[in-house]
Amino acid sequence: MKYEVFARINQGDDTINVGSVTAQSDRLARMYAYNTFDEEDWNYLAVVREENLLEVSGEQPKREVAAGE
Amino acid sequence: MRWRPVSEWPDPAVDYVQAISDTKLVLSHRYAEWSLSGPSLEDDIGGASAAQEEIGHVRQLARELEGQGRDLAWINGQREPEAFANAACLDRVEGSWTEYVASVAPADRAAWYLLDAIDREDLAGLITKMGEDEYFHLEYHDARLETLAEEDPETVQNTLETTLPQSLALIGPAAYDADADPVFESGFTDRSVAEIRDAYIDHYRRLFEGTDVSLEDVEWDEPELDDWDEQRRRSGDGSISQTDIEQLRGEKNQLFTMN
Repeated sequence: MKYEVFARINQGDDTINVGSVTAQSDRLARMYAYNTFDEEDWNYLAVVREENLLEVSGEQPKREVAAGE
Repeated sequence: MRWRPVSEWPDPAVDYVQAISDTKLVLSHRYAEWSLSGPSLEDDIGGASAAQEEIGHVRQLARELEGQGRDLAWINGQREPEAFANAACLDRVEGSWTEYVASVAPADRAAWYLLDAIDREDLAGLITKMGEDEYFHLEYHDARLETLAEEDPETVQNTLETTLPQSLALIGPAAYDADADPVFESGFTDRSVAEIRDAYIDHYRRLFEGTDVSLEDVEWDEPELDDWDEQRRRSGDGSISQTDIEQLRGEKNQLFTMN
């Protein structure tokens, strides 16, 4: 299962996507993320199953406005 | 081993900490040895990270043991294999990666339970810091054992039938209850060996509950008090190899020392 890894360095910072891990369980994914992304002393580190990400805009939204509108 | 005249800790407590330190020293070596053999890059990174943390713990404990009269060179490996007091399940770790995990995990947890039981204000900060590292070691091991219990329950079970009693020997005999455990009686620890064992056994029973790994045949009563070596915290005469010691001492690396 693929998990996206999110982190922030300081409280109040934006939480950003720092990478991903592949693991057989949520528990293992947490440990993989902790060990693999240890380049910073994170204030917050989290994993999200890829399947649980809710896509907002996978495609470029249409911006055209029809003539006459 | 050379002793200095002043020793603040009772003798059994010095041996107790020495066994924790030796287990961590050999653990760091096993983690490093296997850190390129994991099934994924994440497992390898986890092993390499744990190896560094364990050796950091050994350095801290070595300083404390030196303060209690133990010779630093001796602590760092200038001794015979039979003088090491590591958990017996780390003497040799051969076979598959599953066998490796089912060998290092029980030893790491046993060493942490012993360390966590120490009740001394002057060591509290050091133990808290080690506990922060150990949380991630033990959580990783359990997560890994859970997945391996699904993938290869037979190997996990067979290995644990050997390594759990050996790790229990590191903790100590069941007969060492609150009235018989000399380290507890001295006030160095806040719980007896019997109490530590109960928590340890309960953990592994709960971890494998509902899996295909049965712990029914594990000899939970090991070690027998009469067979147990209090200094080495094990039963029997086994030890790490001479090659392990040469690697622990970094003898070959001496060739590259700049003079």
